[in-house]
Amino acid sequence: MSDLFAPLAVGCLVAVLSALAVILVRRPIYAAIALLVHSLSLAALFALLAAPMVAVGQLIIYSGAIVVLFLFVVTLLPTGGRELAPGSSRLVMAAVAAAALLVALFASFAASAPLATAASAVADLGVAAVGRALFGPLLVAFELTAPLLLVAMVGAVVIWRRHEPRPRVAPKPQAATEPRRLVMHQ
Amino acid sequence: MSSETLVLATSAMLFAVGAAGALLHRHPVAMLMAVEIMLNAANLLIVLGARVRGGADAEAAALIVLVLAAAEAVIGLALALAFFRRRTVPDVNEAAEIRG
Repeated sequence: MSDLFAPLAVGCLVAVLSALAVILVRRPIYAAIALLVHSLSLAALFALLAAPMVAVGQLIIYSGAIVVLFLFVVTLLPTGGRELAPGSSRLVMAAVAAAALLVALFASFAASAPLATAASAVADLGVAAVGRALFGPLLVAFELTAPLLLVAMVGAVVIWRRHEPRPRVAPKPQAATEPRRLVMHQ
Repeated sequence: MSSETLVLATSAMLFAVGAAGALLHRHPVAMLMAVEIMLNAANLLIVLGARVRGGADAEAAALIVLVLAAAEAVIGLALALAFFRRRTVPDVNEAAEIRG
């Protein structure tokens, strides 16, 4: 894996920079574009890490569906989704919390077992192996994604409909009509 | 520095950046984007583990995480849109109720 160090470094750099752009850019539409760059760089990282199936999934699901959904929502928002500028105290608090989290994560990683790719590990990670895992040990989780997606879809529609603004003017009561009578022609 | 350490450090940094974004913003869509970054960081770690330990199970789990992220984005964005039907000020602190 040492020959892949340079492309991996480029991918990691792009991923971190685009993530910073997502959270620091003022306009949400630029943030959505930065999220697109971020997800593309992660797909490249997955491909470099010999996970082609996850890379393709990232491309189709993340770049293709989720980011486009974000773009749609941002353009649907009133005022283009512009935000009140966060105060500098908020920025400092977020930076301090992120730094503390980063130190904790690095400490826990340093305390864990050393990383080295086992020579035998690289062999069997193709699409067939992933498929065997999906339909073997992970079958329950895999099958549960179908109802999960269905419930998410129905839930989104229900949330949207429930907040439908009620009409300002009450609908006119319909004129009471006499029930139609059956008239016999004579 | 080995490649594995580099990817590990990237994953930690992405998670921290996502957490900072979720703390920084009050706009619901911006907060959702930050949460997506955190999910991506976790997924990168899962794929790295699959690579190092040679487990195809972990790669399949990463795929399931992708699907979960899709479901989460759909519900979160629907809530954000429902939120903006009533208000124009993008501040999640204003949201006190879920019923319309």
